[in-house]
Amino acid sequence: MKNKLIHALAATAVATTMMAAPASSSAGEVNAKVVAEGKKLAFSRSQGNCLACHMIKGGTLPGNIGPALIAMKLRYPDKQKLRDKIWGTPELEVKYTMMPPFGRHAILSEEQIDKIVEYIYTL
Amino acid sequence: MKKMLWMTALSAGAVVVATNAYAGSNVDPETDRKQLVEFLMAKAPKVPFEDYRLGAYIYSADKRSQYEAVNEFPPYLDHIDAGEALWEKDKAIYEKCFGSDVSKIRPKYPYFDDDRGEVITLELAINECRKNAGLKPFKWAKGDIAKLSAYLAYNARGQKINVSINSEGAKKAYNAGRDLFTKPRGQLNLSCAKCHAYNPGRRARANTLSPALGHTTHFPVYRAKWSDLGTLHRRYNGCMKNMRWDPKTVGGPQSVAFRNLEFFEAYLSNGLEIDGPDYRE
Ligand code: HEC
Ligand code: HEC
Repeated sequence: MKNKLIHALAATAVATTMMAAPASSSAGEVNAKVVAEGKKLAFSRSQGNCLACHMIKGGTLPGNIGPALIAMKLRYPDKQKLRDKIWGTPELEVKYTMMPPFGRHAILSEEQIDKIVEYIYTL
Repeated sequence: MKKMLWMTALSAGAVVVATNAYAGSNVDPETDRKQLVEFLMAKAPKVPFEDYRLGAYIYSADKRSQYEAVNEFPPYLDHIDAGEALWEKDKAIYEKCFGSDVSKIRPKYPYFDDDRGEVITLELAINECRKNAGLKPFKWAKGDIAKLSAYLAYNARGQKINVSINSEGAKKAYNAGRDLFTKPRGQLNLSCAKCHAYNPGRRARANTLSPALGHTTHFPVYRAKWSDLGTLHRRYNGCMKNMRWDPKTVGGPQSVAFRNLEFFEAYLSNGLEIDGPDYRE
């Protein structure tokens, strides 16, 4: 319940910022902001906590349970597939994997996953 | 087809939807135990079997020497003394339940009681003994129960874990514990096995994962993180919460489910020395 509320609030906040952005702001700037937010989520222990298992450039004390998140564009030419992997679509699930199904198990909201995907795609 | 062996879990890579993989298991405990030992020892060929009582420290020379330094002046000595005082205080009562040789108590537990049809752990037996004598039972996870248990473990150091499974009931309890251990549960879709059977030696952030083999040898444990002594079931509670899975959904410390889990983990550790209490980060 509480989570949902927080997600909803976060979503509104994003929408508001985007609308409030001056007309001159380029798509590039908006994207940089989303990427920065995605990075914060990915590094945060209480949210994405991707660093618990993945080496990520710039992250301290990474775990080594999953593969290093690097060269993602090369490995996932199809960005949607990367999102599906993080969301946890059953077809892409590796048996006995530690990788949590972030969307399927409502660990993160759809908006949070979008931001993380934008960030991961820059790696 | 039902055999969900430790080995098959290792051949990841295959993209399979994990639907029925964890359907209620009914494995032969001794085959199962041997496979886990074989698998772990193949992964870390330099680690001798008897070292598995040291948990995650077997995988890091650095951490191991820190651990050894701490154990030169172990932080749990006062707790052992306090445990002895507790024993002495109600000695007549405890001796009626457990006999008078304090070195012979810890190694008997856990065992499957065929008459009662359930697993009896040392901590359960302590509190039942107290209750039957009209004394107030201790709280489960820490405090006096851990101190008394530490005193009994200390007196049994060096003896080997030797859990036997000689009945259908005991085999069922093992398999129930194994199910709890291997099924993904909680919001993060994790299982004990994902951390402690398939990935021991790897790191989650800075924490190296210990293997299930050896999980029960050294409890109760003094943990730096707790600045305190805690029972095995206290540790189970903690790991379940990390999985974002509420331990109360299966009953919490000393529930049938937790006792089955301990029975399963203790059986896996057969042949290792009892080494409690010990220190962990
Ligand atoms: C508890 C451990 C754990 C956490 C936390 C975790 N992952 Fe993973 N992840 C894994 C493992 C193990 C794999 C490899 C097996 C698989 O594909 O499921 C993996 C695979 C992946 C892959 C596929 C990599 C490839 O080479 O195809 C991506 C992308 C990924 N994770 C992204 C993330 C992101 C983003 C987060 C955080 C929001 C995250 N992971 C959190 C364990 C984890
Ligand atoms: C996401 C990973 C993860 C999961 C899932 C997990 N644990 Fe742990 N567990 C740890 C870490 C990290 C530690 C501390 C380092 C160590 O000793 O392994 C630990 C420690 C332990 C210890 C103490 C080991 C020792 O040497 O003192 C026990 C016992 C234990 N876990 C049992 C369990 C059980 C039972 C489950 C499932 C109900 C479980 N764990 C699930 C990560 C996990």
